[in-house]
This record gives sequence, structure tokens and C-alpha cells, in this order.
Amino acid sequence: MARRYDTRATIFSPEGRILAENGVVLAGEKRNVSPLLDDVKYSEKIYKIHDDLCCSVSGITSDANVLINELRMIGQRYLLTYQEPAPIEYIVSRLCNIKQAYTQFGGKRPFGVSFLYMGWDKHYGYQLYQSDPSGNFGGWKATCVGHNSQTAISILKQEYKIGETQLNDALRLAIRVFSKTLDTTKLTPEKIEIAVLQHDDKTNQTTIRMLKDEELTTLIKQYEEEQSKLEADRQKQQQTTEKDKK
Amino acid sequence: MGDDIMNYNGGVAVAMKGKECVAIACDKRYGVQNKTIATNFTKIYQYGDYCFVAFCGLATDVQTVAQRLKFRTNLYELREQRKLKPNVLYNMLTNLLYERRFGPYFIFTLVIGLDPKTGETFVYDSDNIGAVSDNVNLATVGTASDYIFGLGELFFKPNMNPDELFEATSQSLLNGVDRDSASGWGAVVYVVEKDKVTVRELKGRQD
Repeated sequence: MARRYDTRATIFSPEGRILAENGVVLAGEKRNVSPLLDDVKYSEKIYKIHDDLCCSVSGITSDANVLINELRMIGQRYLLTYQEPAPIEYIVSRLCNIKQAYTQFGGKRPFGVSFLYMGWDKHYGYQLYQSDPSGNFGGWKATCVGHNSQTAISILKQEYKIGETQLNDALRLAIRVFSKTLDTTKLTPEKIEIAVLQHDDKTNQTTIRMLKDEELTTLIKQYEEEQSKLEADRQKQQQTTEKDKK
Repeated sequence: MGDDIMNYNGGVAVAMKGKECVAIACDKRYGVQNKTIATNFTKIYQYGDYCFVAFCGLATDVQTVAQRLKFRTNLYELREQRKLKPNVLYNMLTNLLYERRFGPYFIFTLVIGLDPKTGETFVYDSDNIGAVSDNVNLATVGTASDYIFGLGELFFKPNMNPDELFEATSQSLLNGVDRDSASGWGAVVYVVEKDKVTVRELKGRQD
């Protein structure tokens, strides 16, 4: 059972996740704190847990690494025992039990990490979960965690259409949310990373892929064109109303 | 006959090297002593695009070690974000077996692999407590291994192309298992080349 309560935004670096009818989209802000930092070949935000589940991280990276390892072990132990992939909620639930234990026993401090999990399993299809340092977790259709997440969540509440959002709608929505919530003025492919999870029922294979720079540029351009068209329409509207006034 | 655990279920596997290709083959019999129960029990498992392992011996250990090795290779690939190389796989496997040095798994293993960039070929075998071997041209494990070794040495030529390699491996296996009551009932052959893997099922003497 997904445990629900009123979640507050945790102030970490932002990311949002959106569930679509035929996939799940995760978008995260890349924070290049210093140009001197060494390039990493892999994503520093999005981690694969097993073939059908990946998650993104908000918070203290060293704490996150420990928990990511634990998530992978949980997945593999289930696979070894039952010879089938672990259900998403099982993995999330087990990890959250560990997180909760650190808030109650031992005199240790809690893990300073929030996760957004996206995955597919044969029981409930596409799923999206969010967990926080308290160990509480919930299932979501669209959510955001981190800096400016309240703004993002309010946009999602207005724009996300339950039962109707397809993958490309979700991608457009993600770009839209980001352009409104990021600190910087202009959205470029270097500042964000987007991962898409899709399951092919015919081959029973799940693919998790990161969008390439070209695809990101196309999406951003599409969004900017839509915005400029809206702006142009609005200006025309304003001109006609002013003319009417005269 | 009951106290020879390695012959309880039967089965055999052979691996051979060619020029920028490797082949591995196994029989399909699953039996309990002299009774044959199934004829679809293959002993070869894939652990990467170009890495294959064959386990021969007690059937329950074949399955368990295959699954436990998969556990470790999955975690390796998740953590390292890259696929396994054959020699790494071999070392992981022998390490796994040695962990049970004083209560061992009853299987002997073969590991084969190919490096798709350089075409370098790997064939290794191991006993049930993880003794490592060199990168050899020919290796066999299982109840009919002695018979297949003889035929393999005869049919092996250095630098065979994939078709010749397939013939050599298949003939060694099929004729070797005919001398052994605990192996046979068909065979599966994997030929691994730089750009593809070909799987062929053979029908030998069905006894």
C-alpha cells in the first residue's frame, strides 16, 4: 500500500517526473557547479536499479550512493529467489523501511536523500514513486522534488491530464515546467537531462534511455515556438482591444 | 552408482577455438542415474553479448550456480555501467566456487568469450572448487569428457573459420556422447563470431 501524507518540498536540486499512458518521463536539472569538475560519462542524477526500474536522486550524493547500492541488492535478491523481476513497490517499500529505521533506532542520522522512482512491472504497469528521508513514500501521476518544486507542482496540477497524457505530451510538459522553474533565463540542452522509460509488450523488454542533445534541442525549440506564437497572439489581442477602446 | 555425484544427472559440454570465433556445445539430457527424465536441459548460459558459460554435473547445482552468478554479474554491470569481459566473468565464477571450498558445488565449468573489437578468443575451464586454467584451444567437462577430449584433439586445427569450427565441435560432441549412457539426446551448439552468435540444435542418436 502506498503510504500517503502531505509532502513538503525538500530543498535539493530540482527534478520532475511525469507518468504517461505509454511511458514515464523524468527530467532533471544538471548543476555544473564548477567548470573545473571532471566530466562524468554516466548520469550523475539518474541511476538504473534493474532493467525495469530507474531512479533519480535529490540530496547528499554520498548518502544516495549507499542507498542506490542497497536498491540494486534488493532487486537482485528478489530475482535470485523468485526468478522474476522485482515489483516496483516491493523495492521502494523495502528501501523506505531501511530509511525509516534510521529515524527511529540507533542514534544515527537519517539519509539526506529523496528519490523519484520510475518503472514498469507486470502487476501495475507504469509507476512513479517518490520517497523522502523520513522513509515515507507515495505513488504519483506527476510530481516534482527540489528547488521551486511548489511552482512546478502547481503547473503540473493544471496541465497534466489524467488518463490522456501520451509520451510526447509528457515530454512537452516537462520542458514547460522546467522553463518556468529554473533559475536561468534560457533553457539549453546542457542544463537539463531527460530520461524516458518505455516497455514493449511484444518483446517484453523495457528500455530506459537518456534523450540526446539533438532531441532536447528540438523539444526546446518546439516549446519556444509555441511560446512566441502565444505571445504574438496575445499582443494582437491587446492591439485589437486598444483599437476597440479608441 | 549412487555415490558418484558428478554422474548422477549426466551431461557434457565442449568448447573450441577458431580464428576470431569460439564455439561451445552441450548435450540436452536430464536424467536421474539411468533414467532419462527430460531432453531439453541445456547447460549453457549467456552472461553478456559475447560471454557464455557451461555448467556440467549435479543439475540442481547447475541451476543454482547459474542463478547466483547472474546475481553477481547483474550487479557488476549496474555498478560499472559496462558489460563483462570473459576473463572477468571467469574470475568471478572461480571466486564464487572457491567460496564453497569445504562444501563445494558439484559442477565443472567452461567459460568462453570473444572480444568483438580485437577478435581475441577465450576458452577456460574450471573444476568444482574454482581451479583456474590457461586460455586453451579445447576444453571439455562432464561425464563424457574423456571421450570428447580424444575426438576434439583429433578434429581440432588451429585458425579454423566458423563453419569448420562448428563441424569440429559438433562431431566431437555427437560421437563422444554416443559412448556415454548419461549424455546425449540431442545437442545445442553456439558459435560466437565478432558480429553475431549462431545457435544450432543438433539431433543425434536419441538414446
